[in-house]
Amino acid sequence: MTEEELRETIARQFGRSLHIRTLDTGSCAVCEQEIRLLAAPHYDLHRLGFFFTPAPRHADLLLVTGPMIRAFELAARKTYDAMPGPKVVVATGACALGGIYPRDPFTHGTVDAVLPVDVWIPGCPPSPLTLLHGLGVAVGRLAEKVRDLPFTAEPSGGSGGSSPRASRAPERVRGDS
Amino acid sequence: MLWFFRGIRRGVVTTHYPARPDESSRFLPTPPAFRPWALTRSTAGRLEGACPSGALRLQDEDGERGGGRLVFDVGRCTACGRCAAEAPHAVTASGAFELAATSRSVLIKIIPLRGEAR
Repeated sequence: MTEEELRETIARQFGRSLHIRTLDTGSCAVCEQEIRLLAAPHYDLHRLGFFFTPAPRHADLLLVTGPMIRAFELAARKTYDAMPGPKVVVATGACALGGIYPRDPFTHGTVDAVLPVDVWIPGCPPSPLTLLHGLGVAVGRLAEKVRDLPFTAEPSGGSGGSSPRASRAPERVRGDS
Repeated sequence: MLWFFRGIRRGVVTTHYPARPDESSRFLPTPPAFRPWALTRSTAGRLEGACPSGALRLQDEDGERGGGRLVFDVGRCTACGRCAAEAPHAVTASGAFELAATSRSVLIKIIPLRGEAR
């Protein structure tokens, strides 16, 4: 089996049902509030086949929040090692991406200093819609859009180049009925 | 009880995102979008000073501070809106909320300044 085939098989298997373990590495808990909202009726994460699990042994995806405080490094490594492969690590929020505490002596500043991160979700906190998009990107169901956003506005006024209307073309997704 | 009827009247309560756009995304705080023709060197310097999380930096090609490019790190941005309050003529909300990236480097954007070479 070639590497490409293996990657496709993994993407297909992750596309069916996925169990998420959240890991708080010193976050202020607002990211957790938004993650908790994913299970609320309006967002209803379970319709897409995502489930939260309390045990890393059952998890396919590690959703890491917070700036990775040094006291938590061992626990983070143990959690990652306890997960069965293949596994995905998602760094969530501006802290995890190095925004808030880049030079704090008690933290590593970023999650990827300790764990191999696959998907980065910006935001302080990332809204549930951003998290849903990030989870879709992590399992290969949704396209990454930020690569093509220039974050410059057009002269014609309005939000221009990265207008939400233009960037939100309807998209069919497996598992959404 | 009223909420129950509201749900019935609108047909469905759960969002259809990502199959269909969610209308509540209009109300989210989003990272800034810049107007390069209004963004002079001094304005960019004020924006760098106003950014609390270090997402905006003036750098040159080699990453030295104080260069002629505005580097916007979307990953560090907290969408606090202080840059838009500092220079409302040059900064607006981007409205982009689908920000997840599979590599850290695609979140770092180079914003051209007025009168500076790219």
